[in-house]
Amino acid sequence: MMSNNEESEMMKLLGIRDIDDLFADVPEGIKGKIIRIPNGISEDELIGEANLISHLNRNHEYYNFLGNGIYDRIIPSSVDAIVGRSEFETSYTPYQAEISQGMLQSLFEYQSIVSDLTEMDMTNSSMYDGYSALGEAVRMAFRINGKKEVLIPANMYDDKVKVIESYTEGLDMKFVRYSLDHNRGYVNLDDIQEKMTDNTAAIVCELPNAYGILDENIPRIQEIKKDSVLISYYDPISLGSVIPPGQYGTDIAVSEGQQLGLHPNFGGPLLGLFSFKKEHVRRSPGRIIGETLDTNGKRAFVMTLQTREQHIRRAKATSNICTNQALMALTALTYLSIVGKNGLKKIADATVSASSNLKNQMIKHNLIDPNTVTGVPFSDVLVSFKKQQNGLQQQLAKKMILGGLEMSRLINKKYDSINNAHFFSVTERTTKEHIGKLIDTLEVL
Amino acid sequence: MSYQQAKYDEPLISEMSSLNDYKLPSYLSESKMLIPEGLKRKSLKLPEVAEYDVVRHFTRLSQMNYSVDQGIYPLGSCTMKFNPKFADKLSSFPGLTSGHPLEDETTIQGYLKIMYELQEYLKEISDMDAITLQPRAGAHGEFTGVLIIRNYLKDIGELEKRREIIIPDSAHGTNPASASMGGFDVVEIPSGKDGTVDLDALKFALTEKTAALMITNPNTLGIFEHNIVEIARLVHENGSLLYYDGANLNAIMGVTSPGKMGFDVVHFNLHKTFGTPHGGGGPGAGPIAVKKFLKEFLPVPTVSKNEKNYFLDYSAKKTIGKVGSYYGSFNTMLRAWSYIKYMGGNGLKSASERAVLNSNYLAKKLSERFEIPYEKLKKHEFVLSTENTGKRALDLAKFLIDNGIHAPTIYFPLIVHEAMMIEPTESASKKDLDVFAEILVSGLELSQDEISKLPKNLAVGRVDEVKAARDMKITWSL
Repeated sequence: MMSNNEESEMMKLLGIRDIDDLFADVPEGIKGKIIRIPNGISEDELIGEANLISHLNRNHEYYNFLGNGIYDRIIPSSVDAIVGRSEFETSYTPYQAEISQGMLQSLFEYQSIVSDLTEMDMTNSSMYDGYSALGEAVRMAFRINGKKEVLIPANMYDDKVKVIESYTEGLDMKFVRYSLDHNRGYVNLDDIQEKMTDNTAAIVCELPNAYGILDENIPRIQEIKKDSVLISYYDPISLGSVIPPGQYGTDIAVSEGQQLGLHPNFGGPLLGLFSFKKEHVRRSPGRIIGETLDTNGKRAFVMTLQTREQHIRRAKATSNICTNQALMALTALTYLSIVGKNGLKKIADATVSASSNLKNQMIKHNLIDPNTVTGVPFSDVLVSFKKQQNGLQQQLAKKMILGGLEMSRLINKKYDSINNAHFFSVTERTTKEHIGKLIDTLEVL
Repeated sequence: MSYQQAKYDEPLISEMSSLNDYKLPSYLSESKMLIPEGLKRKSLKLPEVAEYDVVRHFTRLSQMNYSVDQGIYPLGSCTMKFNPKFADKLSSFPGLTSGHPLEDETTIQGYLKIMYELQEYLKEISDMDAITLQPRAGAHGEFTGVLIIRNYLKDIGELEKRREIIIPDSAHGTNPASASMGGFDVVEIPSGKDGTVDLDALKFALTEKTAALMITNPNTLGIFEHNIVEIARLVHENGSLLYYDGANLNAIMGVTSPGKMGFDVVHFNLHKTFGTPHGGGGPGAGPIAVKKFLKEFLPVPTVSKNEKNYFLDYSAKKTIGKVGSYYGSFNTMLRAWSYIKYMGGNGLKSASERAVLNSNYLAKKLSERFEIPYEKLKKHEFVLSTENTGKRALDLAKFLIDNGIHAPTIYFPLIVHEAMMIEPTESASKKDLDVFAEILVSGLELSQDEISKLPKNLAVGRVDEVKAARDMKITWSL
């Protein structure tokens, strides 16, 4: 099959006549695989085909009110330009430190910037996504205190719960749900207190909570947590204006970092942010970059604390993570560096202002019950429609509007339900005109 | 031409200061402060840097980072092949990047079509029956596979007794770590004299407690497990399952397949075999394929098709649930899809053939000076020992990078002393391999004193790893 000169020279050195001789060690019974995939096509044909397929998706001119974890935010062009540099994009995990200082310093800066953002002591150099980071956090809580009960909110997204359950399946942990009140949409502190036992490993809280609400009860959980591990799931954009997990007694802070400069990409790649108190570092999962010196006394960076990791500790490693989301960590770092502290604050304030505007408009137009979940929403606005809305999301999609996700699509009815509840999410890209268009459309549906 | 690195004394971004000039839309209203008083943040520490300085900072850092686009990157078991640029192009189409995972199915048919086709391609390449694209890396796939095995055993009432997973001592570290995360005890078996699974050791380890055997084929020594059919028979007769670590799939495409070999669960590394860029450590993607009897255990959703549409299929009756958010790393899947379409079935086979040719050629050249344990045909990678030369693998690695070539994986697999694990991939010319061999051999001429002072041509000299672990400075604030 092969015929060019260099290949025949190589085969000559090896003393073989046919490339198939190199596969003589594959037993006959299992040899002779034919891959029934059509022959390759040219780049031009390929791009043409991808283009055609892209037209099977909506065009991107829709009014977008989808969120609940993945958001359509402004991405500075410089972020794409930096992350697209092939020196970063086509490099491997920085095993050889001296030739990989660019990525190592970037990841060190990422660990630092996320630690500052969250006011947590330390941050690892990335996890797969927010949900799996939460799963790893619960495993870490077990390593910290050896206990097996975890308190989680009743309204936690079902998929998130499923991921934690998968991550802890081998540990046989027990999950206990604590309730939220449906008036303000705050967590019920008394219920947490009641459900705590001597075997409580961790309390998981969310801010904004799963109703999207900036929940004033969250910072008070530290008063009742005793020696359990407090795991906080936060929204990184909100931290432009909202108190960070490090200020309310958090032991492990985790989040989904997609909003920090990553395109939605139909849900991936994403970025799991994972921060923790210093005293827990030896029990933490994932790769960590450390600062050190080179032989000439110059500052240098290197992968460190590797004795926690799978390639050294094997079956006793704190996690099996090998490939992580390094390029996404670089994305978040460049995003935060470009928008800066004033930019992040503006974006957070604009978000909360748009969400309040959206909710007020719906109340004003008499579409929703004004007394259900009255707390201040951040990005995700949960509304309880006065009349039942069947197939709302699909109907809106026909009008070029994305949104109106049924609460029951995310939150298991068995644990929590609110009548006719739907989500509409906003970002700094949501204008008054977008909201006006949504209200107009909802009024005639 | 070998790579030459820039040497900047680049400050941390926190040490830089210039006027942040990033412009947001003027319609953003800041006037209303709606956040409840107790939740308002009082101060926030983030860098204050102009956009042009941010770009310059990271551009300089990029110039201190080696990559596949600058030369060969022969890390064993990492399959650092060329990442085609057409994949960059189509994976940035707005129509393929702006989709939200919770959209109504009517507006996401294109995403689902790509996923469906990729599922079909991977099943065809591996001869497996059903697949999930959800895992986000190879190790994530392993963990998913272990959970599938766990739930299957629970379903047939054998989980209580089958608590062990057998893993060869030459395995990737992720294998025992994943097995352990899934709640199994790990039983390690030694490799035989020829570097492959020792059948007697396997027979001894296989008991009524055995849940599964996890192996990679070719193994981490680059040797094909020629007894694989017998291994599969032994494992299955014992009522256990056989897991395929797909990290080394690049060696066998179009020659044989995990399905033909008798594996029950298989993971793929899209960022290795299927040419998607590794991103300095990620993102990857680690789909898992299974034989029919395990189909109902796959995480949900997978993508299916009826007469009219593609749809997210949640019908798996005994599903393990979910291992990550949404459906996996779509952008990585898209790149892998494009790679497979570009290569075609025939091209994939050629890629494996060339990868194996390159590996054997380089092994042959280096065998003149280095001991290459286990006299066997190599597949896509091989392992040499530097012990006979009196040089440490670490020093030779530093010599290589100082000469502008990325070093191979070193000190792995653990069963070879002073190991260098070399995987040239198909993206290396004969000339590249000749230069690599020549430079590596020339490193033997240096005195111990000279070589231990390397590197000197890179942005930094040899880094002090012990100090990093001892001082534990992992953020700029602490």
